[in-house]
Amino acid sequence: MKLIQTVKQDALACFEKIGLPSKRDEDWKYTDASRLAGLLEMSDANKKVDSNGLGMLDLDAYRIVFINGVWDEKQSNLPKGVAIQSLTAINDSKLFQISADAPLLNGFNALNAAKARDGAAICLADNSVLDKPLYILHVSNQNQIIRHGMMLGKHAQANIIEHFISVGEDKALSNASTAIILKAGAHLEHSRIQQEGKAQSHVARVEVKQLRDSSYTFHGVELGASLSRTDLVVSLSEQGASCDLNGLFVLGGRQHVDHHTRIDHIAPHCTSRELYRTILDDRSHAVFNGKVMVHKGAIKTDSKMSNGNVLLSKHAEIDTKPELEIYNDDVKCAHGATVGQLDDQQLFYLRSRGISEAAAQELLTFAFADEVLAAMSNQVVRSYVEKEAFAKLPHGDDLEGLLGE
Amino acid sequence: MLEIKDLHVSVDGKKILKGLNLTINAGEVHAIMGPNGAGKSTLSNVIAGRDGYEITSGSVTYKGDDLLAMSPEERAWAGVFLAFQYPVEIPGVNNTYLLKAGVNAKRKHQGLDELDAFDFMSVVKEKAKLVELDPSFLSRSVNEGFSGGEKKRNEIFQMAVLEPSLALLDETDSGLDIDALRIVAGGVNKLRSADRAIVMITHYQRLLDYIEPDFVHVLANGIILKTGDKSLALELEEHGYDWVKETL
Ligand SMILES: Nc1ncnc2c1ncn2[C@@H]1O[C@H](COP(=O)(O)OP(=O)(O)O)[C@@H](O)[C@H]1O
Ligand SMILES: [Mg+2]
Repeated sequence: MKLIQTVKQDALACFEKIGLPSKRDEDWKYTDASRLAGLLEMSDANKKVDSNGLGMLDLDAYRIVFINGVWDEKQSNLPKGVAIQSLTAINDSKLFQISADAPLLNGFNALNAAKARDGAAICLADNSVLDKPLYILHVSNQNQIIRHGMMLGKHAQANIIEHFISVGEDKALSNASTAIILKAGAHLEHSRIQQEGKAQSHVARVEVKQLRDSSYTFHGVELGASLSRTDLVVSLSEQGASCDLNGLFVLGGRQHVDHHTRIDHIAPHCTSRELYRTILDDRSHAVFNGKVMVHKGAIKTDSKMSNGNVLLSKHAEIDTKPELEIYNDDVKCAHGATVGQLDDQQLFYLRSRGISEAAAQELLTFAFADEVLAAMSNQVVRSYVEKEAFAKLPHGDDLEGLLGE
Repeated sequence: MLEIKDLHVSVDGKKILKGLNLTINAGEVHAIMGPNGAGKSTLSNVIAGRDGYEITSGSVTYKGDDLLAMSPEERAWAGVFLAFQYPVEIPGVNNTYLLKAGVNAKRKHQGLDELDAFDFMSVVKEKAKLVELDPSFLSRSVNEGFSGGEKKRNEIFQMAVLEPSLALLDETDSGLDIDALRIVAGGVNKLRSADRAIVMITHYQRLLDYIEPDFVHVLANGIILKTGDKSLALELEEHGYDWVKETL
């Protein structure tokens, strides 16, 4: 048997052993994975999907389009001289390897490795810089499993945007995974914009390994799906590496979104920043768990985490838990979470300048969320997200005028 | 323009204003002085429409209307402006945007067309000069990271752009060094006009050296205890507030 098949079989065995997470599992206390148990079957036949007009149309970028988890050659447009291939084209067993004791690894992730049908294998050579963003659009109307791998060579740079959209009314699950390796001095800006439909569920794992002086910027935007869970695991393995993790959830109805993030400071002189903000309306429920582990040798660690939450409805719920574990003294860490309504003093200030109460509330809500997006380097992506996010707010229709600087 | 009659205000059950009377006409400049905690900010906040104050009796009439029945934004549209003692920082809300939204909301209320972006910017730049506000502040978030003095300057800049009929300046001079005080006071003087009334709350005579008031009031014991001309401020400086209480 080929090595790759063995690796996939091992992943399947791992899934069979650990199964789906249960509520007894501390990391799944608030998210009911059993709701997804009926959505694990992958059908052999691919339903047709019309993806015309979907996604960020005015973004000047290289594109890869996945339809129901399968690379659509016709709609894709790749940079020259960069190794970007369908996962099916390269038989690299390493891309399917999982380790059961990796942080936050769960049954969905094991299943992903065992059953992934396709994905993008992106490999940037040393010193190569992508001159335009790479936009990966996923459109689906059935269960899908996607597995991306990104490797940036020394001092390589890229801006990669993953966008998830679903069409149709059927219940379905997207199980997506992205494994990233950043070599010395590499810089990756990586966005995941989850905008799937009401009946959809989404489970994701992003695993990042950073080598010396590399930097990683993440933007996790959660707008869609009824249930969405992401595990984001970053390992700062060599000196001078830095990560900047940004999350924005704008939820309504009965949406449930859960991000568990884990940053391992393994090497000295590494920096981590984390800023998560949620805006919760109706009966939506958000879970944020941000764990930072400062290992024994990781002196001069500099870590800041902040999580802010605004509840627009008294039925909305947030469970937030910043966690810090430090195994040496020579570190600088600041972590905190806030939950609240909008600030009365700010509201009064705006109203005293002639802004109506409703507009003042919208403006403050917008400003609160937009601070997270300020770190996005591409303004087309940022405007798209702003517009889509604010269309979800109670008075979002009037917000267009507020978007400009 | 503004007529306050027998105003009683409590905060958290504590009586702060106890039958205050005050009349202010267009074109006048008033100074209100008084010990810390006397209720000066309470008075200005009540006029601007801030929540959290219990108005147990009395009336406030502004241009013939019942001011207390109006929302804060309606008061702003009608020309009431408060320069805050402690201007709040609003990260993510652009200073210029705030003013544009404020000006246009007021114009809309008056049945005027919105200003176009170009006209608005030229107004803003001209007014920024009035208080020598560095143009870089225009594109920053409201008060975010401003020093104490810059916040106060920004308040007067906003006043210049919003062109109120009744401006309440709550300790605008506190935290200003002598140069900044001169500049801000100069800006306020340029904003004096026959159809505008200005009420300055201050602890210090030095502001009144720059902006000469028509009336000086002492707010103490929950009322306007004494009213005089600018010489009252000099006497206060010399003898303190207890002197007022004793002379009565
Ligand atoms: N929001 C509030 N909550 C509780 N007490 C307040 C509040 N605002 C004012 N006060 C109290 O009311 C009194 C008057 O305060 P203030 O109007 O700020 O005085 P001044 O501006 O004259 O120094 C003080 O005793 C102050 O502690
Ligand atoms: Mg005061």
